[in-house]
Amino acid sequence: MGIDRRSFISLVAGGVAGSLFTPVIWKSLDDVSIWTQNWPWIPRLQYGEEAKVPALCKLGADAYGIKVKTVAGRPVAAEGDADHPLSLGGICPLGAASVHMLYSPSRVKNPKLKDGSSFKDISWEEAEDLLAGKLKEAGAGVAMISGDETGSVTDVLAGLVGKAGSDKTFLMPGESAPAAAALAMIGGDGQVGYDIENASYVLLLGADALGSWGNVARNGKAFGASREKGVKFVYAGPAQNGTSAVCDSWVPCVPGTEAVLALGLAAVISAGGRDRASWPGYADFAKFVQSAYAPEKVSEITGVSVDVIKGLAQELVRTGRPLVLTAAGAGQGLGAFEMAAGMSLNLLLERVNTVGGVRILPWSPKVVESAPEKKALLTADLVGYLTSIADGATEAPALLMVHAANPAYAMPNLAKAQAAIDKAGFVVSFSPFMDETAAMADLIMPDCYAFERLDDAYSPYGSGQPNYTVAGAVIKPVYDTKPAGDVILSVAAKAGLELGFETFEDVVKAKAEALGADFDAMVEGAPWLGEEFPAQDLALWATPLKEMPVAAKDGKSLALAPVAQLKVGSAKIAIPPFNTNAIRFDEMLGKDMYVLMNGATAKNLGVKKDDAVKLSAAAGECKARVRIFEGVMNDTVVAPLGFGHTAWDDFSRGKGDNVYKLLAAEAEGETGLSRFATARVTVSKA
Amino acid sequence: MAKCKSCVVLPFLIGLVASIVLGWWGFPKVLYSQKTQPIRFDHVVHVEDQAMACEDCHAFREDGSFTGLPTNANCVGCHEDVQGEDPEEARYVTEYVQQEKEVDWLAYQTQPDNVYFSHIAHKELECTSCHPDVAKMKTPPVYYENRLSGYSKDTMKMWQCEECHAKTGASNACFVCHK
Repeated sequence: MGIDRRSFISLVAGGVAGSLFTPVIWKSLDDVSIWTQNWPWIPRLQYGEEAKVPALCKLGADAYGIKVKTVAGRPVAAEGDADHPLSLGGICPLGAASVHMLYSPSRVKNPKLKDGSSFKDISWEEAEDLLAGKLKEAGAGVAMISGDETGSVTDVLAGLVGKAGSDKTFLMPGESAPAAAALAMIGGDGQVGYDIENASYVLLLGADALGSWGNVARNGKAFGASREKGVKFVYAGPAQNGTSAVCDSWVPCVPGTEAVLALGLAAVISAGGRDRASWPGYADFAKFVQSAYAPEKVSEITGVSVDVIKGLAQELVRTGRPLVLTAAGAGQGLGAFEMAAGMSLNLLLERVNTVGGVRILPWSPKVVESAPEKKALLTADLVGYLTSIADGATEAPALLMVHAANPAYAMPNLAKAQAAIDKAGFVVSFSPFMDETAAMADLIMPDCYAFERLDDAYSPYGSGQPNYTVAGAVIKPVYDTKPAGDVILSVAAKAGLELGFETFEDVVKAKAEALGADFDAMVEGAPWLGEEFPAQDLALWATPLKEMPVAAKDGKSLALAPVAQLKVGSAKIAIPPFNTNAIRFDEMLGKDMYVLMNGATAKNLGVKKDDAVKLSAAAGECKARVRIFEGVMNDTVVAPLGFGHTAWDDFSRGKGDNVYKLLAAEAEGETGLSRFATARVTVSKA
Repeated sequence: MAKCKSCVVLPFLIGLVASIVLGWWGFPKVLYSQKTQPIRFDHVVHVEDQAMACEDCHAFREDGSFTGLPTNANCVGCHEDVQGEDPEEARYVTEYVQQEKEVDWLAYQTQPDNVYFSHIAHKELECTSCHPDVAKMKTPPVYYENRLSGYSKDTMKMWQCEECHAKTGASNACFVCHK
């Protein structure tokens, strides 16, 4: 029997018919349907034991305890730590996004050496040898910048610089420095904190306490508790924000004049009632504020009516435990004199170093012998130093080391800061991320990310009680990174500049011992809390009294109110990928950010909603779109910090513009610190 | 004419039979790749010789979740060093415990991520109702991986879940398994 056409067709037909009685078709269809769902980019769940591991969040200006939820040892989410005094179960927008930053595309995955306009990968041994060699070459021509005010890595790095014979140790701008200088102006010595939980009336002079300022999570919890206790919160600032939205009242106040309002309140309070003649410095202070800051004059400067000023003064006097928090709207740039204005108001109200008032905390103990005292570290002005280098008045360092800071992005006089970094002989960045400063560096020695290493924090600015937190690693390093503290100690030893410690853990243990804290308990999640507040011998303004400079209104320019929003990052961190969805349609249009002004101001300028505009100041220019918001004072423009990155990753690069470019710093003669909280800008169509 | 009939029927039958044979015998061989566990784990040694209970390694956590396959943390209590003469145990100690590397055990019944399966809700059932009776095996069974779907051949299908739920009176509502 041969195979003809008919037989072949029958064979095939039989095969097809037979296949219907097999799983071939049905199973294949089922499996193919599953296969279509197996895209490689679909994340896979990892199953395993769930745990909550104590950790530290230092992505913003604050440093507080959080809990990292892990599954099979892998971090998956972060939440507040109810047992930590600065969290109390709360978490900030950066903390909420912190776990995802572990895998951010901007992570620097291994040591890198600048090779022309790009980087080449090198080993850790090569990197350490290179830095040790540079340290030997630089001698005393070495400088450091740290953005970590609370951690001991800064002590180690400052100790290395000190051991090399240099005093060029700087912290990034913040409010600890002007607060400490302000305290010194009234005769105090210590770290400034605020016992917001026990106050019965809180006046926020510019402090965006519930959005970005100080211990944000703790502030929020205190505010929440205040609702039941009948504590009144009043916010004074140039625009409605998240803080003013929930406070009991908002007092519109021209940006940068909140301290003037403080002295105006002091003038009203000192003029009435109580005999304070025996108080040290009171007579001169009362005479000064009553003559220089009369309510009518203060009203003209601040935009706050005389009646409101007098009403606020009455409320402060009549309330049992009032507390005044003075801050820049963006949490940095306030001068010491401005800070002292708020401090003196608290002193006038007898609210300094007392329950529910301003608390004076002891300084962090010094454990690295060659490092400067924290108090001395805060007197070194980074803005002035970099500006001076750029201007050629100061010699650029032969070696500049940058840790947990991004001065090439988050500085006033930004162009000069960048020029100064460019002038440095050799720049080393310890950043875990490819930030703007790392991109300019000659050598990147990537630090482990927060959850990959041991870290500590002593009483971040604003803490109402001394506290010390130590957190161990949650996970092993995801990439080829090393803890900066250990790397610096290793390099110091190679350069013959031993700091007295072999490991960073030894440094933290020494600090814990100095405080009388239990290292092991802290690593398990039990922070140390101090009970002692150093006694103070305070006087109402011990330094010469003088009027604060206020930018003059010229009828053409607007007052700039820069604002910080933690959801789009901080001076250290760019927009976390996790938070990009939190940027609203009325905050960005395409890749342009919005600036806010009210309808009357827009009409005067001849601009309308969504118009592209250029903001020009003495220091630089920014581009933006106009958003009309009636919660902004007249002749004021609100601009968000946190945009305009040029490095990092696709989630943050090229979105909006960098408002730091508009901020010009001026030096305070008496303190040597820089003030740059606001600026006058002209707005024109782009 | 008779010749024509055989020319049609016989090839049809041959094709039918060949197709059925290939479909039931050959197709699975093509569809599934065969894999063995990274370590030949001997359950008999542990269960019979060491008198260990299933729960010693496959237990419920305090929160009710199931530990599933043990990690090194469970095993190092005994196997920090080599205990016996089985070369597989020695390999486990040197290649995994000492290298601090977890064993990528192949799970025979892993459900897709969109299925929420709670072991503790099924604790009244015998383990062997769904799982192979590995406690009596010196060598773990071969793992058959579906080349198309990527899942194990033994992964329970939805109809099987539904059938059992229907028979036992458990709810078959979507949200019972798909949260």
